[in-house]
Order: sequence, then C-alpha cells, then structure tokens
Amino acid sequence: MEAVARRKAAAYVCRSCTRQFQRQLQRHYSSAAPRPDIYDVVCVGGGPAGLSLLAALRANPVTSHLRVALVEAQDLSKVKSWKLPPNKYSNRCSSLTPASALFLDQIGAWEHLDQTRVQPYHEMQVWDGVTDARIEFDWAPGSAPVEGTTIAYMNENLNLTSGLLKRLEQLGGVSVFEGAKVEHITFGEETEDLDLSQWPVVHISGGKQLTARLLVGADGANSPVRAFAGIDAKGWDYNRHGVVATLELEGEGWGGEHTKIAYQRFLPTGPVAMLPMPGNIATLVWSTTPENASLLKKLAPKDFVALVNAAFRLSTVDLAFMHTQGADQNDEYSWRLQHTPFNPRALPQTVVAVQEGTVASFPLKMRHADTYIGERVALVGDAAHTIHPLAGQGLNQGQGDVQSLAKTIEYAVTHGQDIGSIMSLESYVSERYTANHMLLGVVDKLHKLYSAESGPIVPLRSLGLSAINALGPLKSFFMKQAAGSDTKLF
Amino acid sequence: MLPSSPLRQLAPTIARRVRNTKTIARLASTPQPCSTSTISSPSTTTQRWHSNHSANPGPSSSSVNADEISHFNALAATWWDPHGSSRALHLMNPLRHDFIQDCRSTSPYSSFTVVTEESPSDIPKSADASTTPNTSNVQKLRYLDIGCGGGIFAESAARLPTTESVLAIDPSPGVLAIARSHAKKDPSLSPKLTYLSSTIETLPQLRPDAVEKKFDVVSCFEVIEHVDHPALFLDHVAQFVKPGGWLVMSTIARTWTSWFTTNFMAEDVLGIVPKGTHDWNKYIKEYELRGYFEETEQKRRFWGRPRAMGVVYVPGVGWKEVPGSEKVGNYFLGVQRIAGEDNA
Repeated sequence: MEAVARRKAAAYVCRSCTRQFQRQLQRHYSSAAPRPDIYDVVCVGGGPAGLSLLAALRANPVTSHLRVALVEAQDLSKVKSWKLPPNKYSNRCSSLTPASALFLDQIGAWEHLDQTRVQPYHEMQVWDGVTDARIEFDWAPGSAPVEGTTIAYMNENLNLTSGLLKRLEQLGGVSVFEGAKVEHITFGEETEDLDLSQWPVVHISGGKQLTARLLVGADGANSPVRAFAGIDAKGWDYNRHGVVATLELEGEGWGGEHTKIAYQRFLPTGPVAMLPMPGNIATLVWSTTPENASLLKKLAPKDFVALVNAAFRLSTVDLAFMHTQGADQNDEYSWRLQHTPFNPRALPQTVVAVQEGTVASFPLKMRHADTYIGERVALVGDAAHTIHPLAGQGLNQGQGDVQSLAKTIEYAVTHGQDIGSIMSLESYVSERYTANHMLLGVVDKLHKLYSAESGPIVPLRSLGLSAINALGPLKSFFMKQAAGSDTKLF
Repeated sequence: MLPSSPLRQLAPTIARRVRNTKTIARLASTPQPCSTSTISSPSTTTQRWHSNHSANPGPSSSSVNADEISHFNALAATWWDPHGSSRALHLMNPLRHDFIQDCRSTSPYSSFTVVTEESPSDIPKSADASTTPNTSNVQKLRYLDIGCGGGIFAESAARLPTTESVLAIDPSPGVLAIARSHAKKDPSLSPKLTYLSSTIETLPQLRPDAVEKKFDVVSCFEVIEHVDHPALFLDHVAQFVKPGGWLVMSTIARTWTSWFTTNFMAEDVLGIVPKGTHDWNKYIKEYELRGYFEETEQKRRFWGRPRAMGVVYVPGVGWKEVPGSEKVGNYFLGVQRIAGEDNA
C-alpha cells in the first residue's frame, strides 16, 4: 500500500516533494515501518564479474568484515552443480588472459574451476580473408612473458561461474538472494537520527528490501542499476550477430595437445574464429550479418559444418555464394574445395561434426557507460561496457574492473572512507575508464577496418598485418597486450 | 628573504600588525556564535607564541580567532561536496591516516604504548570463511580531533575497525551543524563519533591520573595556522594525550613558496582553496613547531622526538609525499607523549 502510494506520488510530484511526502508517510506509519536492512555492498548480478567481486571482497581479510549481498534472477544452485559429460562442451566460452587467471587465483577461485575443461593456447593465426595477409602470433625466443608461453586460456563461462560459486560457498558470509528479480530501486528514508535518503534500496521479488552503502551493478548490458543511477551508455549496434557452436575436429590440432592454436580469419562480413578446447573440441565465434546468422542456425548439421570449413578455406566470393543456398552446402563445399589451393597446416583442422543444440547467436554491439560510478553506485563488466568479441576481451575487461574496484574498496576501508562515496570511488573510474575506452576503440576500429571488401583500405590493412608480422618487437607488444601481461591497457 | 627569527618573536609581530584592525571591524558585523566564551577578544591577541607568561589569557579564553570561525561558517555548505571548496582536504585525508599509521608503527617508546597494533604481516594471506580482521585482541583507539570542521577526518577515523571512539570538537557552530547532519547519513558512525562545540580550552579538564579517559591519537589537522597562540594551544592539548599516545598535526610552512602556492595560486589563481582561508603570516615553519617540543628539558622529557612528513599537492593527481618538502610547504608533524605525569 505504502509503496504503491509512494510510486504513484512519484509520478506526479517532483522529487523533493515526494521525499517530503515519504517522510510524512514514514512518520505516520513509523511503528509499522521495518528497520532498514543495511548492507555494505549489494551486488546485483551473479555473472563472472559480480561473483568475482564478492569472492575478492570475502577473500581479503581487510574487506571480509563487510556485510555483502548478492541478488541474482537465476537459480544459482543449478549453475553451481553444472556438469557435462567429458566430451560435451557448452557453446559459451571465453578467453581468459593470464592476468585474469592470476587474479582468479589470488582470490582463490581458479582451483575451483574444472581444470580438465580449461584449455591454454600458445599460438594465434590471424589472416585477412580478402588478401590472405597473415600474422602468426607465437612467442619468439625470449619474448614470452614470465608466466610461460600461454597466450590465454579457453574456458566455458559456466565452468567459471560454477567455480566462483564454489569458492563463495567455501568463503561463506554472502547473503544470497537467488531467483530474485529486482523489481525497482528507490532511495532510503530520512528519520530524525538517520538520513538514508541517498542510499539505494533494492526491492526484490517477495517484498524484501536491501539498503546498500554501495550498490554494484554487475547486471549486464541492460543494467537496471545503471538506469537507476541515471548513467547513460553510448555506442552503436554493429548489425552483426555472433554465431557460436561447439565443434568436433578431425584431431586435436596440428600442434598436438601441448601446443594449441587459435585461428581467426577476417571476412568482409566480420571475423570468424575457432578456438581450441580440450581434445578434438573447438569453439566457434563467427561474427556475421543477421541474415547469415539465421541461415546458419537453420542448416542441417552437415551443411553447417561445411559452411564453417568453407569460412576458413574458400574465397570470400565462394563463401558469399554458399550463403545464398538454402541447403546442400556440403556438396557445394566438396566441389569448390577441389578448386581452391591452400596449405592445410596453416588452417584449423577440418571440422567433422557440430554438437547438437550448440548453434546459437546473439546481436553484437558496442556500448560504453558515461561513467562507472555515482553516489553509492558502481558499475562493473557488461553494465559498464559491451565490446565486440573479436579480441576476446569482454570478460577480461570485467575481471580488470572487479580487481580495480576491490582494490578501491580495500583502500577506502583502511583509510576510513565511506566505500559508497564518490570521493572513494573516484580512483576506480580513473584507473579503468581510459583503459577500457582505448580497447573498445581499437576493437571497434579493427571491426570497421576489416569490414571493407575493396578500396584503398584493403591493401593498406594487409600491409599492416604483414608489417606487424615482420616486426618482432611490435608483434611481441600486441601479444603481450592480448595476454594481458604487460601494461593494463586491455 | 624572510628573517629566520625565533618563533616567539616573528609570528606574533606580523600577526598583530596584519590581523587586528581587520578582526575588530569584522567582529562588529559578524553574528556571534552561540558559545561566545570560546572567542578570543581582539585585545588579548598579543603574542601568538607566548605560552606560559603573564600574557596568558587564561583557560576561559581561547586560541581560536573569531574571524576564522566566521570564515569557516561561510564555507560550511560545500564542505562535503567532493568537487566543492574542500576537495583538497578530502584528497589529503587518506594521507593523514597513513601518517598516523606510520607514527604508531615506528614508535620508539612502544613500552608506553597501551595499544599495540596488528602489523600487516600478521594478517593471513587468504581468510577463511569465518575470519574477520582479528581486532578482538587489539585494544581499540580513542581519538580526539581538534578543529574537526565538517568532520572529514573525524568520520574517517570513526569508520576504522580499530577505533573505539572519536571525540571531535570545533568552535564554529555552522560547520558543526554540517558535520552532525552529514554524520547522520552513515548509520555506522553514531555509536563511535561524538561532536562537541568546544575549543581545547573549554573542553572539561581531565584528572592527571584519568589515563583511560585520555586519547591514543589527538589530531589537529590544518588548525595551528588558524589559532592565535599556538604555544598556549599546544600546552592545553598535552594533557589530553595518553602516555604513549600521539599528537598529530598538519600545517603549512611560512615560506615564499607556500605564499605562492597556498595564497596566490590556490586561493587567487586556481581557486581550489576558498579565498581568505589562509593567513600566511600565521603559518608556522616546521623547525618552529618542532622547536616547541624540544625547547626545554621539561618538554623533551614529556615528548618524544617529532616526526615530520612533507606533502605536495599536484593538481589533477592529488597529494604526494615529498621528502624534504616539510621545509617549504604543507607538512605533518607527529609527536609521541612519553611522560606518564601531566606536569612532567
């Protein structure tokens, strides 16, 4: 009743008047009003970013006394007990940089991932679909960062969230509200001796209200927390979809089980990438037009496999033609392949099957929030930025955010700052915003650069790839960036 | 060149010459703060550094200048605005804690220290589910913050898990009202933080043997440059410091550099500090302040060797510790009370 009246009032009355009205209501029902349930940190969203943040806060003795809560719409027990047979893999995988892996290790989560399903890779082959200019990313002697020769780790997202949940269970001390939707977020009340009028109150399904000293939005690209904070996110849609699938190859890769290779070919419609998973499994990320994506999802498995093989082998003209066929790509591919010369060892091994039910797609966009903080609000991960997946950096950016925010909170606690105040959150934005913005820009430009099929840009970009390939130090710089082992640019 | 005169002579003469006429004129038009007894009458502003002689205005009078009170009353409204008039102070605040931490951890008289602090190396690398910072076996600290203003330091001290209580005092009713209303915005503060409209002189005297009522940390940040009789002021402060506890101060050295940076650049050109905040003539050089604690045998028995830390404000970056800069600009000075007897 009271809440309804307040919401109705809010629609017609200015904010300060509403506050006054609320205060009157408060006084009127003061005996009935429940005492606010106050948390130091309320994290909305139980994805990799939110769970890592809570694990980081709980694992650090300086911040472990904070009262923390997690609000997640999904049923987390299903995620935690997630299990697939050893030869089946989820279609949503991410590349974790050594920097992200190190952070996950520091917060004690890495060991909770099923290591038999994590695949490090050591080489990258990237080439231009139009000109065939190529760059080979492998570590020249002496150029590898100290962690070893791993460029990054391929891992199923569910393996990560499941591992983080296991770590949180081990740490304890998190009030988890799962299967709980955020209905709305309001401000707290002002009474005679307590003024919570700038404290966010999260109303979740079931009527529970959580008052937050710091409200963390780890709630994805359409973040309700960001909307509550009035922070705008700017950017554009690429008019491209990312098609994902779990593939089975003819073998475990040209380098065997100990030297795994990631492949990426820039096609005019967008990059297609095949990333190694354990054994003969690989995961596909194919950025393409929405029309091509819907065709790919409709194809019979053998035709889908043919089109994926074609995407790494055939000319862009042949490939474009095959997308106009409603079916029977398999026959077309066999015929055209005979007339296309290529070096099989420079390409991923042939795909022999696609795992059932793993072909899916999602729209690609670029978004960047105007800021990551407001009074008693901080945004992390996709709530703060959405990036094109071509560099495999989305999840790693989120981990970088979390590491920085956890450090900011630790500093605030040891210096008596209010962890929700703008003053104490400022260092989080200054550490992350420019770094994220640069990466968003670089990846966005890369996408646009390789979307051109002809014109003066095409020979220039090939020259770019070939030149980078020839220049050892420059390549080493790019690889270190990809591995997140150098400056924290990525 | 500034004459390097002993601190008893230089500061008072300049202060008297520059301030008194202005003070009288302003007093007439300024609404009197409610606690009138805390304001010094202009006629008693004789010698700032003259401590224990006939010019002593007595315990009922104060070292705090009325002019200063009205200036800070006017600033009250923007005190907590992160981009407002006190941004430089907000940015400096974490350094205050670092300095206190530094003083307490390197205490040469630790046998006197009633409180021992957990050293960072004792903290386990990864905590188990149940472990929270182990503060139960650590005696928590009592803070007295003199000239607390809007409560930037007082609030932060109260939030530290190692703090038992904070008593924060200030004679400006306007800023205290701001401090109180801001403290209401954080429910964790009220059990530990108390504001009192008072100067150090009007604070109830403590019995010399009431050690448990004294304070582990007595702070006066950016205060000494605003009081009329620094020596007298410090004489009063001494009794509130627990034996083994620390008196921690910060202020600005009176040099051409500090005039240029804090008066001309900060107030007039950049506007990062409200105009009229600083009276350069009241600035105290690091060796002058240090000298107070070392000038007599009696003082040397009472206080340990002062520790100093110079800090420099870099626009766009914040405050940075710069060794040696205590001689030219903003600096911290910390001194541990080593004597058990108040009148040692």
